[in-house]
Amino acid sequence: MLNMKINTKGRFTFPGGTHPPQSKDLTAESKIQPVPVGKQVAVMLSQHIGAVCQPLVRQGNMVQAGQKIGDCDAFVCAPVHSPITGKVKEIALRSHAVLGRSLAIVIDAYAYNPTKRPCPGFKDDLDENNYSAEQICNAVRQAGIVGMGGAGFPTRVKIEPNPRLPKETLIINGCECEPYITSDYRIMLEWTNQIIAGTKLARKASGCSKVFIGIEDNKPEAIEVMNTALKTHANNDDIKVVPVRTKYPQGGERQLIKAILKKDVPTGGIPPMIGVVALNVATVAAIAEAVVFDSPLTHRVVTVTGEAIANPGNFYVPIGTSVEELIEFCGGVTQKSAKVILGGPMMGIAIADLKTPITKTTNAVTVLTKKQIGRAKFARRQTPCIRCGRCLEVCPENLNPTKIAHAVKNNLLDVAENYYISGCMECGCCSYVCPANIELTGYIKTGKIFLAEQKKKKPE
Amino acid sequence: MLKNITVSCAPHISQPLSTRRVMVDVIIGLVPAIVAAGYYFRIYALILIPTCVISAVATEWLCNLIRKKPNPLESLGDFSAVVTGIILALSLPPGLPIWTAVIGSAFAIAVGKMVFGGLGANIFNPAMVGRAFLTACFGVLMTTWTVPATIDTTMPKIAADNKVHARTQATPLAWSKQAIKTKKGAHAVNAQFKSTFTGEIGGCLGETSALALFIGGLYLIVKRTINPHIPLAVLISTVVFANIGSMINPNAYIRPMSHLCSGGMLLCVFFIATDPVTAPLTIKGMWIFGIGVGTITMLIRIVGEYPEGVMYAILLMNAVTPLIDRFCKLVPAGGEPNV
Repeated sequence: MLNMKINTKGRFTFPGGTHPPQSKDLTAESKIQPVPVGKQVAVMLSQHIGAVCQPLVRQGNMVQAGQKIGDCDAFVCAPVHSPITGKVKEIALRSHAVLGRSLAIVIDAYAYNPTKRPCPGFKDDLDENNYSAEQICNAVRQAGIVGMGGAGFPTRVKIEPNPRLPKETLIINGCECEPYITSDYRIMLEWTNQIIAGTKLARKASGCSKVFIGIEDNKPEAIEVMNTALKTHANNDDIKVVPVRTKYPQGGERQLIKAILKKDVPTGGIPPMIGVVALNVATVAAIAEAVVFDSPLTHRVVTVTGEAIANPGNFYVPIGTSVEELIEFCGGVTQKSAKVILGGPMMGIAIADLKTPITKTTNAVTVLTKKQIGRAKFARRQTPCIRCGRCLEVCPENLNPTKIAHAVKNNLLDVAENYYISGCMECGCCSYVCPANIELTGYIKTGKIFLAEQKKKKPE
Repeated sequence: MLKNITVSCAPHISQPLSTRRVMVDVIIGLVPAIVAAGYYFRIYALILIPTCVISAVATEWLCNLIRKKPNPLESLGDFSAVVTGIILALSLPPGLPIWTAVIGSAFAIAVGKMVFGGLGANIFNPAMVGRAFLTACFGVLMTTWTVPATIDTTMPKIAADNKVHARTQATPLAWSKQAIKTKKGAHAVNAQFKSTFTGEIGGCLGETSALALFIGGLYLIVKRTINPHIPLAVLISTVVFANIGSMINPNAYIRPMSHLCSGGMLLCVFFIATDPVTAPLTIKGMWIFGIGVGTITMLIRIVGEYPEGVMYAILLMNAVTPLIDRFCKLVPAGGEPNV
């Protein structure tokens, strides 16, 4: 192996963005630990974008670990599986981070439930030509894999060849630009071969010729490990690790594509329109496991972090475990009042119900202290917009956040639409920098909901 | 276990930056100009600046009372009235009577800002509104320029108490206007460059020292309180027009550097034109705005009747800012959505 110096400095980036404090030290050195099965899990029937699954089991049924318990015939859908062996207690409403309340299959665990450990045996010698593209797509579909970076778009739909939108570039997203979260970072360090195997399988399935792995340059170890692993095999030559500049939201799909390919995804469009498929590192790791070991997506790596958590760390968690159980496993919280966020502090959703189950898209549980809450936007007095233009400067989508937010505030939805409210990806940069403490992102999100309701009312 | 759970919209962390911090930065940026004013005009600066600040703040409080705000003191906390007061004071002739300054500040805040709804809602820069009002009402007082105290005046001691009163003097721009009319004498103004740079010359309280304003402006740009687009646009357009003038007839038109360092140009460039409330939001808009300010100023200075045109240039461009903003609508990164 050539011992070449690996460049870990990122030159590529996108216009706009901001630099929130990283706070990744809390968990960056913590190895991924498996979490034992609790008494009960609640597997959401809607963990992805697309059609909601129909339950395949009924109350009182016995289910095996890895058994498919929900599915539907729609194209944009991914089945759900039971992570444990147990008995279906009920199919009932549970708190959902995005949907409010949503149906979940609640399973009581049997006494004997071995703790599932992260996938062991991936060598660096996987030959993707042993699998056909169709085989890979089917395995991905059957395993219920969705985008694990946050959006939860069914992965099969993304990688399946589409004659209308031919794909040529595959981008693997290892940026993890959100503060606090380290789950992807640990996956890259510990499951390196699995990620490379998954990348090759995704390349094979999608028919892409070029592959880039984008990693922010605040993770030089991950860049080195990935590079070293790629170099051991000659046929990995066309997979390139691209260090990108550390800046929030570098891990946004559109921002990463812009940084690496210098191309813009059309507003309101999707990456395949410019021939790109973007997959998160956790997703490709799941693809490898699904295709090679036929194992469904029942567990995922979750970073439990924040200054209010007693023992923060990265955990391999059965999907459906409640946030409460997970926090208790980490030694609980050190304060009486706090803010519990599913995801990171920039885009994550604060939850009110600690019984909310972990879903396929939950990459972190961040618990902020009372002091940090006091420093947040909503806790401070909102002052008038002074049109300083900081929100325009940081907007990665080149929008006019203050105009849109004030249009929504004044109930001028047509103005908001005219200023491209739909182009906003809600990264939170504008709210983060606003000196007047205006919750711009909040207004924009609200405006989108109003617009959706308005469209529902009068279909044209 | 957890007792109180806070729920709010993302993002859950924020930059430790507030409107007050922005305004305090502007005040810090103005400190060199205040110091220079104090050095050159002594007692006048000591009286005029606090007078304007106090009456501006008091007017805002009164307006809040009239508007029946639940907490009339609340909006004073952002220090924007202080900034308006200082900028107005710095753009007034040093020898202006106190009562005039009080009227000007009150008008600036009441009519320039509060009638529109307070901070963030005003169309025109409040300080310039106040100054325009004073110029219109008290023309003579507003064009009587005191000589800096550091100049050793050879004036005979008139008063019996043997106190030396600073006498008055024309500003470099007034001489420049004279030069344009008589088609000679521009070189004499150019020769004054050192004085206009340091500020040892007649003029408005805070406008005379180009050096102090430049230091303050640089501070604001380095602190990223203002961005450099508007200052650059104004400076470049001014230099271009001044160059055209001095190329046509160097005897009649003064050099670009003299134009930049004299009158309210630098105060305008760094502190007034960059007032975010009344300037466009987009970078393209900022350039249009800045070039507009520079162009109108130079048209007034070279072609117009007034020696100084910064104030009118700012007010005119303020008026078209909403139009500029509409014209320079941003296109999203991914292009126009095709719906």
